[in-house]
Amino acid sequence: MLAIEGLTRRFGAKAAVSNVTLEIEPGAFVGVIGRSGAGKSTLLRLINRLVDPSEGRIVCDGVDVTALSGQALRHWRADCAMIFQQFNLVGRLDVLTNVLTGRLAKVSTTRSVLRLWSDEDKARGLAALDMLDMASFAAQRADSLSGGQQQRVAIARALVQEPKILLADEPIASLDPRNTKVVMDALQRINKELGITILCNLHSLDLARAYCDRLVGMADGRVVFQGRGFDLTDDVARELYGLEAGDVMEDAHGVGAETRMAASA
Amino acid sequence: MTATNQRTLSAIAREEGPRLRAAYPDVFRTDMKARAVTIGTIVLLVGLFVYGLSILETTWWRVFLGLGELGKFVVYMIPPNPETLSKALVYVHALAETVAIAILGTVLAATLALPFGFLAARNVIPSWIARFFVRRSLDTIRSVDALIWALIWVNVVGLGPFAGVLAIMTSDFGAFGKLFSEAIEAADGKASEGIKSTGGGNLHQVRFGLLPQVLPLFASQVLYYIESNTRSATIIGIVGAGGIGLHLYEQIRTLEYQHVSFIIILVLIAVSAIDWVSSRLRFAVIGVRQT
Repeated sequence: MLAIEGLTRRFGAKAAVSNVTLEIEPGAFVGVIGRSGAGKSTLLRLINRLVDPSEGRIVCDGVDVTALSGQALRHWRADCAMIFQQFNLVGRLDVLTNVLTGRLAKVSTTRSVLRLWSDEDKARGLAALDMLDMASFAAQRADSLSGGQQQRVAIARALVQEPKILLADEPIASLDPRNTKVVMDALQRINKELGITILCNLHSLDLARAYCDRLVGMADGRVVFQGRGFDLTDDVARELYGLEAGDVMEDAHGVGAETRMAASA
Repeated sequence: MTATNQRTLSAIAREEGPRLRAAYPDVFRTDMKARAVTIGTIVLLVGLFVYGLSILETTWWRVFLGLGELGKFVVYMIPPNPETLSKALVYVHALAETVAIAILGTVLAATLALPFGFLAARNVIPSWIARFFVRRSLDTIRSVDALIWALIWVNVVGLGPFAGVLAIMTSDFGAFGKLFSEAIEAADGKASEGIKSTGGGNLHQVRFGLLPQVLPLFASQVLYYIESNTRSATIIGIVGAGGIGLHLYEQIRTLEYQHVSFIIILVLIAVSAIDWVSSRLRFAVIGVRQT
């Protein structure tokens, strides 16, 4: 169980995340929705401790994550894998090495720096790539791949961390409709088959409704909605998206998600 | 957490291991040849280094025996003392001259090198002949050290700080030309393409696509060179190109070690001050990006 208690993060005078309290049950697929600047990314970065909170606590299975430092913090980061909108792969390294960086917290520094990966780790890396149909690209340089392929490599890197939680920060925002489906399906499979809790930031209400068990709506750093996809009424959407509500609600009235994505791509 | 139908990645890797091994044997094969090449190269380089030391008659024991002498120098230098206030003012004035030589020389060098940096960059000048001539002339200028340039300029324009400014300018013109052109070549071509797509000409692409990307890098290089040239300007002062160098040389020659240490401390303060100012300027130019 991941519990977030009164979490606040201020940048200067502005609170990016403001007094957020949430409970995420193990094995859930939670979608975090809201317009740009609502604090979704900051919330995920706070959980991974890429950003430190100004106030509040994050507690996972009884451990106060906000108090961790040093080695314990690195292990926590390995436990809640992160994938990013821009993939954040190391373009000049090959795909398998990129994936195996997911083992860094568990391998001795000497071995990892000399890139002496064990056969078990290589098998883990390949198995993760294989799950995402990317194993045949293992020896290629990461920057030679397309966006969708790179995101799948990033997911494989997250998988070899063998995390409890996977934090996905707008994972499909720079992808085309077909790759969007490939990546979202992969996340769903990981959630179902490996039992990894997923917290996914999404712009599109459509996708959020289709894939997530539970939705968390954020506006101005606050949680303004919690519930299931069908609880998300027009009124709530308007509160979340303000004037943009017309744009995002269109898809609820029959316009295919793919058309809209293609238009905005 | 793991329900009956759920497996961990490690479990999958164990089960699928044999199949993956058979399907992708290259991943598991240690490339002995590549490893041998790496180790061989390291051994070769270390050997070359040791050989180099041995033919240059490096005698480490002489360094150890000399350590005592070094200690004596330090004792002579304490406490730093210019004796009279007028002497101290002379030194401070000479140091200011040195700093001025460094700043003027570096700024002139950077200004002159800016167009040549673009002319020597592959993504700006596709013609290799033009690039070849620009690059080779930059190499030629760079291959002569600032100290030699100082000796040359002293003969041309006479003793004094002007020769120092010209010396720094010429030697760093070559260095900046090379650094600038490399920074331009490493720049991302997408921005230029964007400018091109709007109907912008070549000059527009350089002005709006390339320059904003490389300017912070140029600024940081120039600022570093101002700091480094404050030290170089001390050296070229010795051959009469103005600044504190001549005083430093005189005091070492006349065994006035307390003066020497006073001058060294002045230079140290000047270099740290420049470093402090330049790091602030650098961040101001780069502009800390909000994420």
